[in-house]
Amino acid sequence: MTKIIVNGREVEADPQKPLIAACHDHGEHVPHYCYHPGLSVVGSCRICQVEVKQGEMPARVVAACRTPVAEGMVVNTESQGAHDSRRECLEFLLKNHPLDCPICDKAGECTLQDYSFQEAQAEGRTSEPRRTLEKRKDLGDVILLDQERCILCSRCVRFMDEVPKSPQLCISGRGSDSVVETWQDAPLTGNYQGNLADVCPVGALTLKDFRFQARVWNLTRVPSTCSECSRGCSISVEVLRDGEVKRMRPRPNEDVNGYWMCDHGRFSEGELNRSDRMGPAAMRNDAGELNQADPDDALRVVRNLLSIQSNALFLASPYLTLEEGEALSQLARSCSTQAAFFSPAANDLGDDVLHTGDPCPNRRGLQDAGLKPMDSEAWAAASASADCVILVGERLLDMLGEEALDGLPSAQRLVVMECRTSNHPAVDVALGVPNRVERSGTWINVDGTAGAIRAARSAPQGVRTIVDLLANLTSASSQPEEALSS
Amino acid sequence: MAHETYLLDRSKLANSHTLEVARADGAYAALRKVFESSMSPESVVEEVKKSGLRGRGGAGFPTGLKWSFMPNHESDSRTRYMALNADESEPGTCKDRILMREDPHCLIEGCLIAAFAMRLDAVYIYVRGEYRLPYDRMQSALDEAREAGIVGDNILGSGYSCEIHMHKGAGAYICGEETGLMESLEGKRGHPRPKPPFPAGFGLWGQPTTVNNVESIFNVPFILARGADWFRTMGTETSPGNFLCGISGHVERPGVYEVPLGMSARAIVEDLAGGVWKGRSLKAWFPGGSSTGVLPADMLDTSMDHDSVKAAGSMFGTGAMIILDETASVVRSALILARFYEHESCGQCSQCREGTEWQEQIINRLLSGRGKSGDVELLVDLSNGMFPGKTICALSDAAAIPVLAAIKHFRGEFEACISSPEEVLA
Repeated sequence: MTKIIVNGREVEADPQKPLIAACHDHGEHVPHYCYHPGLSVVGSCRICQVEVKQGEMPARVVAACRTPVAEGMVVNTESQGAHDSRRECLEFLLKNHPLDCPICDKAGECTLQDYSFQEAQAEGRTSEPRRTLEKRKDLGDVILLDQERCILCSRCVRFMDEVPKSPQLCISGRGSDSVVETWQDAPLTGNYQGNLADVCPVGALTLKDFRFQARVWNLTRVPSTCSECSRGCSISVEVLRDGEVKRMRPRPNEDVNGYWMCDHGRFSEGELNRSDRMGPAAMRNDAGELNQADPDDALRVVRNLLSIQSNALFLASPYLTLEEGEALSQLARSCSTQAAFFSPAANDLGDDVLHTGDPCPNRRGLQDAGLKPMDSEAWAAASASADCVILVGERLLDMLGEEALDGLPSAQRLVVMECRTSNHPAVDVALGVPNRVERSGTWINVDGTAGAIRAARSAPQGVRTIVDLLANLTSASSQPEEALSS
Repeated sequence: MAHETYLLDRSKLANSHTLEVARADGAYAALRKVFESSMSPESVVEEVKKSGLRGRGGAGFPTGLKWSFMPNHESDSRTRYMALNADESEPGTCKDRILMREDPHCLIEGCLIAAFAMRLDAVYIYVRGEYRLPYDRMQSALDEAREAGIVGDNILGSGYSCEIHMHKGAGAYICGEETGLMESLEGKRGHPRPKPPFPAGFGLWGQPTTVNNVESIFNVPFILARGADWFRTMGTETSPGNFLCGISGHVERPGVYEVPLGMSARAIVEDLAGGVWKGRSLKAWFPGGSSTGVLPADMLDTSMDHDSVKAAGSMFGTGAMIILDETASVVRSALILARFYEHESCGQCSQCREGTEWQEQIINRLLSGRGKSGDVELLVDLSNGMFPGKTICALSDAAAIPVLAAIKHFRGEFEACISSPEEVLA
């Protein structure tokens, strides 16, 4: 490590990283556009100017992203010279910027906006006509490009080149004619396009999916973990006013996903916003209709079922957390059996970037909790011979397919703890549960790294947590007399 | 006023570009001397250092010192290159063209001596795309030299081998910037690279590389043949030798003249170039190409060497003088240059991409009678925001300097565009 002094404080800096990284690591923010810690350094936006003094040489203002750290270097990120250089740079960047912040999705998290407030003079001095370029350039299914807003930092070009290693974007034209585009306007392809909207420091590359959906300052951001494969990328779940999940974005995590996530995970919010949510509980009445019920009544019925049935099958959704898996494992043991989790077949999305192709985000965690994996075939065999089937957790009905319930023996009892409603005639008792953005817990990813999921919004009124429901059943099954007498 | 010459002597011979004529005139004698006197590469570098030769590409950096930046060949076994910068594109500058066209063998000899001194594996000559005849002459000289065993394996039986490759540029000024040139040679867009790392450590394809100007290398055979002490008899203490002054603009006899460094600009204009044309008087002059700040007529007694021109508030650059007579508009000349830099900016850095365009827009407005009060101050302010050292390469500096110099010495002309626009339009 190299010792340098940043704003009067001696700090240790990694000699492999540029000066700007040392400043950021120690909480001294240096404005930047083209610099991104996950991409190669080009040093072209020239805003990260700081004052550096080395040895006897007079202090000078340098671009922090292109300056290596050197022992004893004295850095002042707040000198007048540094601020003046940044202000000048911003004035150039704003000269042709359309200033359409009021209709820009990036407003509120745009660093051009932020730094302009921090550094720039309030009034522009240009009276020249601004460059007019394409405002709505379609770059495929995911991304829309506004060339007028672009500040040509080339992060997007480098992202495509370096992360999915699929060079599709380029800066064409020279000087003030430079624009970002794809070769012959071909649409972008691949599973990592969404990251382009994240790396873009301005509103040039925006998600079609998020276009005019929300002002970002109205979103609540909760750190969580992606559910769509066993990589378990660290993400931020962004919810509008305790309602819809509007956006999911990667959260930096060097051990798991770096700064990125795939589009498959990013755009999985549709499932979370579905309207057919299951209420607290439902039971089938004598007339054969599934009616809303009090969850305590429903739990009592399940407890009775478990105390009578000798051959119960407990099948967990692959989205159950480690804690929920342990609770289910305990319940199964109290019924003298081993719980299983549904192990969906691998999909063809696996790549050498992030996606593992295994749709189960908590395979390792559920195995650690004592659950055995069960594929479709094993499920078909086991469910045919069970007296009673307890399905626990979100998306399980969709993964099994409701038609899988068609052939269940008629005498068999079926209890479903799901996020969504089901009118399948085989269902005897249904209990609503929170989905993965409404509860907290732990998933263990493919490499054994723990990732926390956290509740980003409230579950539907009256819906209890899975751990709560399972604990209720377990305490009853381990003390059957008390349970039966109540 | 006779002075000793050497750079253009051979080019006065008929067919000076052929091996036969060049050899008869002593071409490759210096190279042979280096080999036959068993000089070590280090002693060649030492001799060039001793000569005080300064780079003729614009920055005036000592050539021998630059060579000594190449890493030690024993501790660094990577391939070593030189990129010879023949992408002469600076408005006003036209000296390398003559050298390549008239005396390509001397340049090849210089390349080989430099290659031997730095223990290079190959030399790339990056020629401006528009220079068709110079390119063809260089190429046929190279073919002749290769045929004669002077280029390639076992040069002149010395055991030393070095290949020289030609490359034709595609018309971008920025490819004359040393790192832009390397990117271009690698087949990429000519986008200059940030420094550090410097070319000596990380150059062409990431290998140790030195980038030299044509005229700098052209001086090398003379230094080796006649000695550093001889070289120092010409020019000044800090800028020894002769240089090629390409003088253009409003003079009677524009052209490329060989003069010793330190000769007064007045002597060059009046004695060599025949004075300002049409009997007019001088208004302003650029000392060394379009990127060097314009100077007023009363500074014409400035000596043409690096330190003196710097002291006068401009830069020696490539020593390519551009002369403006009393009828010329400094504002219009500023517009022509601003247009040039706006067109040639690669667009990477914010300051240069936007600044060059803004300069051009403002000066254009001034000249079309739409100037506003405050425009000159804005022009000064924004130009100051473009340099020094605020961008990856010096193109931004090169765009800002002439505008600032023009305003410094001729502010009244700029302000007149605002106060009396009708006169400007007339």
